[in-house]
Formats: sequence, structure tokens, C-alpha cells
Amino acid sequence: MTPNGAFAVGIILIALGMSGPGPRGLTVLVALTLAFAVIEVRGASMIALRRAIVIVLPLAVFMSLVWIGIVGESPAQIAADAVGTRVAALVYVAKLSGRLFLIVAVVQLVFLRFDKLTPLQLVRALALPAAVKRMLVITLSLIGTLRHAIDRAHIALIAAGTLTRTPSLRNVAHSWRLIQAVWLSAVTIMLGRMRDKWPVENTIARLDDTLDNGKPPLFTGDDRIWLPITLGAAVVILLADRVGGMS
Amino acid sequence: MFTTPRLILIALAAALNCSIGTIVYLLKLPIYLDSIGTILIALLLAPDRMAAFLCSWAAGWIGLAVSGLINPFLPWFAVTDVAISLVTALLTVGAAATFRARPLRSGPFAAQVVLCGVATGIVSAVVSVPVVVYLFGGVTGSGSALVVAVFLKSGQHLMSAAMLSGLASDPPDKVLQVLLAALLYRVTPGDFIAMLRA
Repeated sequence: MTPNGAFAVGIILIALGMSGPGPRGLTVLVALTLAFAVIEVRGASMIALRRAIVIVLPLAVFMSLVWIGIVGESPAQIAADAVGTRVAALVYVAKLSGRLFLIVAVVQLVFLRFDKLTPLQLVRALALPAAVKRMLVITLSLIGTLRHAIDRAHIALIAAGTLTRTPSLRNVAHSWRLIQAVWLSAVTIMLGRMRDKWPVENTIARLDDTLDNGKPPLFTGDDRIWLPITLGAAVVILLADRVGGMS
Repeated sequence: MFTTPRLILIALAAALNCSIGTIVYLLKLPIYLDSIGTILIALLLAPDRMAAFLCSWAAGWIGLAVSGLINPFLPWFAVTDVAISLVTALLTVGAAATFRARPLRSGPFAAQVVLCGVATGIVSAVVSVPVVVYLFGGVTGSGSALVVAVFLKSGQHLMSAAMLSGLASDPPDKVLQVLLAALLYRVTPGDFIAMLRA
């Protein structure tokens, strides 16, 4: 399977998740996602599930606090001016959390499908315009640069006695200095790279050459199996509960 | 339009949006602070409003794509980012000279920050409400969900609760974001800005 195919399948699965399918549609959607996980991602699927739990669980707790604890009724009951129940609020939070879990899990599965590729190789394989690919690679590189800048600025401000190592009000009061130091550090690094380093090394032109993967077909190999299956399943998912409702 | 320095700036602004926005999201504060880079990029490209709009839009969307890995709610607010970029390019860019003036004229500076922040906040709230209500039933994972809950509890309908929550939390949030962006703009080296505007 190519990254293009995996991203296309992922986008379709997420869109279907957001369409709010009924029980039958949801069953088909979960089965399809599980099939993708087992066949394409295999053992790494557990990592995807674990990451999805880590991201969605705090969110579910927070939404439970808001909906079940404070509001005490579901949005549908509020909209219908009906008497609210905490059980309905619980069901609503469970549905929403489930939907978010599916989205996060699909995103993780798609990325883990290509965990053997470096970020540069993954971006290279995508069928995107050259400028977008370059932008993505530079953004990823800059996130690394910013992390270093944050570390350096943080340590410098602790050494100067402006910030403390442990959480404190002093840190809250001076957090602006950290942001400012990080920004200036990042700007200075980028100025140096753009003025001297990159022109000397011809980095941008070489990056474009590296990211250029010719014009291979958009979808090949297993993409040609997964995409029709996913699109067919999409029709079933969207119609399953409507047809069931009519009978 | 998209010169190498501007591409770098877009990436920097996206990274800034991600890093600060994610911290605030994880802390569940009733603000967002996820558009500082979007606003800052427009200021750095002033007075070219078209470049400011396109580059801040690009930075906003790249930031959404990356932050979406941590915050699954965020990518659904892509249209809000377009609206923020548009208001910033049309309104906030006009205040760039005041924000950069030396010495700082605190009166006009504060007035422009509040004006631009409130306008951006109102537009952002109005554009976000349909997403909050129809896609998520009124509550997202940010701290402002608590404000929606309080309005719902006081008997407001879903739409009006989400709208009131947006109007209560977005303008102060955007004022803060414009302030931070303006302060970062003030300290940005002049030669970096000259390189961007060339």
C-alpha cells in the first residue's frame, strides 16, 4: 500500500466517523477499521490504540465533567426542551468520545503503517505539489529547531534566576520572557540558515531534488483493493441504518 | 509570493501555533492562544495584505494539521482559521506601524490591540458556533466548554449558549493573542522583517 492510498482510506474513514452512522453503519465502520489495522498495520495497531486512549481518555473525563457533572442533560434534550437526564448525557459523551477515538486511532494507524519510513521518505512518497512537500519538511525540521530553542531558552532563564525548575507563580509571571526568548532564538537560527548556511550548501534546491519522486501512479498495489472496498463500505455505512429505518 | 523566507516564516508560525495552542489545550484554560503565529505572520508581512492573508492562512492550516494529532477537535475549525486570517489581513495589518513604533506609544498601542482583538474574536466566535453546535453538540475539548455548560445550566438554548460562550471567551482570547503577536513583532529583528518583505 502507498502512503497516498493509506491517507485516502484514512480520510474516508474519518469522514464516515464524523457522519454519525447508526448502529449498523457503525458496526461496518469499526469492522473495516479493524480489518485495515490487522491486515495493514498488524502488531503496531496496539500502539495506535494505546496512543488513541492516551489522547481521548482525558478528553472523555473532561467532557463527562462538563456534560454529566455540570449540565446534566444531553444536547438533544436541551434542543427539544425535554426533561434532562444524566444517563442521556452519559450516552452522548460516550458517543462523542467513541467518534473521537476512531478519528485519533485512524490517524495513528495511517502513520504507523509507514513507521519504517523516515518523515522525509514519507513526504516524498505523497502525491502533493512540490511547494507543499517542501513546506511540510521545513515545518517538521522547524519543530525540532523550536524544541531545541525552548530547551536552551528554558535552561538560560533558569540559570538567570528568572524561572524556576518546579511549577511556580514566578514561572507564570515570566512565561512571556520564555516565549520571547524562544521566538528570538528561532528567528536568529533561521536568519543564519537562510543567509549563509542554505545558500552555501544549496539546501533548498537539493531538498526539491530529494522530494521529487517523478510522476508515479497515484494509487498502486494494494491501494487498488483497499480504495474500492472502502468506498463500497462507505455506501453501505451511509445507507445501512436508513434502509433499516424504512423497513 | 511564497519566497523561501516566507515559507520558513509560515513553518515557524505554524510551529508557534502548535506549541502554544497545545499547551493551553492540555491545561484546559478557557482560552485558545492557537493563532498567535497566524496573527504574527500577517504583521511581519505588512503592508502587503494579500501576502499577509495567504501566508497566515497557510500557517493556520499547517498548524491545524499538526495540532490535530493531539487535539482531534481542532481540524474541524479550519474555516475559523480562514476568517481569522482574513480579519487579521484586513484590520490588524493596518496597526503594524503602531505596534512597531519606537518609542512605544502606549495609548494607541493598547487601543489598536483591543480593537483588532475584539473584532477578530467576534468574527471567530460567529464562524465557530455552527461547528461547535452541529458537529460536537456544543462542547469541544477546550476549557471554553465550561462556559458553554454554565450558559446551558442557566437555561440558554444550545445555539445561544455556544454563541454567548464564544462571544464571552473569544474576544478576550484574541485580544491576548493580538497583544502577544504585537509584542513578538516589536522584538523581531529588522533585518529578518526586511528579508520577508523583499
